[in-house]
Amino acid sequence: METSIEHELCEAQLSRLKQAHYLILLWSAKSESQGYKYNITNCFDDLKHAGITRTKQTAVAVIESVASLCFIEIRDERNRKNIYITKYGAKALANIATSNRFELISSAYLEEQIK
Amino acid sequence: MTIGIGGAGCKLAVKLNSNATLVNVSEVELGKVVGGGQRIVAAIHAGRGQFQGSRMNPEIGYRAYISIRQELLALSRGSMVFSSTGGGTGNGITTGMLEDLTKANNIETEDKTFFNLLLPYAKLESSEFISNTSSFLAGPLAAAIDSGNTGNIVLFSNHYKFEHKVSESAYNDMLIHSLQTFLSIPKKSAKLQLLDGHIDEEDFILYTSKPYFNHFAYFNYDASQDFGKQLNQNQNPYLLPSEAAIEALFLLEVPTGGDSTIFYNILEYFKSKNVSPIYSVIENPDITEPFITVSLLYSRKPAELVNDFNKISSEHAQEKVRKSLDQYVKLEKLEVNLEKDAAQEVHQRGEKDEVLAILRRIGKL
Repeated sequence: METSIEHELCEAQLSRLKQAHYLILLWSAKSESQGYKYNITNCFDDLKHAGITRTKQTAVAVIESVASLCFIEIRDERNRKNIYITKYGAKALANIATSNRFELISSAYLEEQIK
Repeated sequence: MTIGIGGAGCKLAVKLNSNATLVNVSEVELGKVVGGGQRIVAAIHAGRGQFQGSRMNPEIGYRAYISIRQELLALSRGSMVFSSTGGGTGNGITTGMLEDLTKANNIETEDKTFFNLLLPYAKLESSEFISNTSSFLAGPLAAAIDSGNTGNIVLFSNHYKFEHKVSESAYNDMLIHSLQTFLSIPKKSAKLQLLDGHIDEEDFILYTSKPYFNHFAYFNYDASQDFGKQLNQNQNPYLLPSEAAIEALFLLEVPTGGDSTIFYNILEYFKSKNVSPIYSVIENPDITEPFITVSLLYSRKPAELVNDFNKISSEHAQEKVRKSLDQYVKLEKLEVNLEKDAAQEVHQRGEKDEVLAILRRIGKL
């Protein structure tokens, strides 16, 4: 059972998420649903392609901030740091998607894989 | 070669090189600059004859650039360019140059152009200057850096001038003296007795050909104190503050008989920042305590700069809107396209449903 303070914390965390956080959640969920591994480098390329950042430092900082909130999990797999959305991240993503707060931008990496 | 573009750019260029090539949209403006060598008029004609200036409108400078494009591009290879980002001529012509450089292929190291850009002081200069600068940083400059086709870019700021109420001519002297201190590094390395490391002309050209922002500073170095702290305290007041360095270069001058090994402290500082600097340690009989000239190349600032400029720009714009609303209110006719709005709503709903379906499919919701 979620207490009111936990609910407040969750609301506050969600309200601070920005477009980049939303896209990381979205792209990692989409990749997982299509059966593709989605790693930090793919994510950086996508953020760059979306015009959100030009530096890897920023991309990694944003990814780490989402991981710190337990919305994603970063696993070391075969020399790659793959990103997986957690059940908390899924709730956060569902909440943001429902509120239409951010623009939905496609993942260039995923589009390339599907081609 | 040194090239000055626009009013501010020309005034700076002649202070560095009395034979500098000067570029402006009007002969009248060019005539106001004392000194300099070749003068190039970027001709553009309005309905009532030739323009006397760019009226703070970069579009006029940009259109004028087309008339001197080939000549200026050829001259700019391996040159040092001075321009301001706020006015119309400097901003417009430099925008044209940067766009052409962005499209160019395989520019050789020695052909890279070193840009010196003078940025307005956001708090006290006109909103047009801020807005022009913001567009310039986010557009042509960012694209040129990404292309890797420019050399170093030095971002001078008018901040110190306005905060300390310095005259334009005196301030230009200060900027050029500061730049000369950095540019003198290879000459000093060659002229004075070398104690450790080595920066020759070739190393220096390679360093200045890298497409990053360059922040250089110089100060008396106290080896008993932490170098990082001294560096922070002695950032160059005429330049925008630097971000974390990607590459670095320093020239350490020690007095005759001084301890030359103090440079290891500086190397350790840079090692802690994951930077391997190139350096020279020389003996300078004219000084009594160690003096360092250090340069940091960094790349992260533009986005933040643009944000700062946009914020101030938008505050100016809001103030202008408020003033004009006070005087004269004219409401635009609001056109609502129900069909388009409905289609957009359906589209957004579709995206939302798709995200929820994905999360259920992977069993996370």
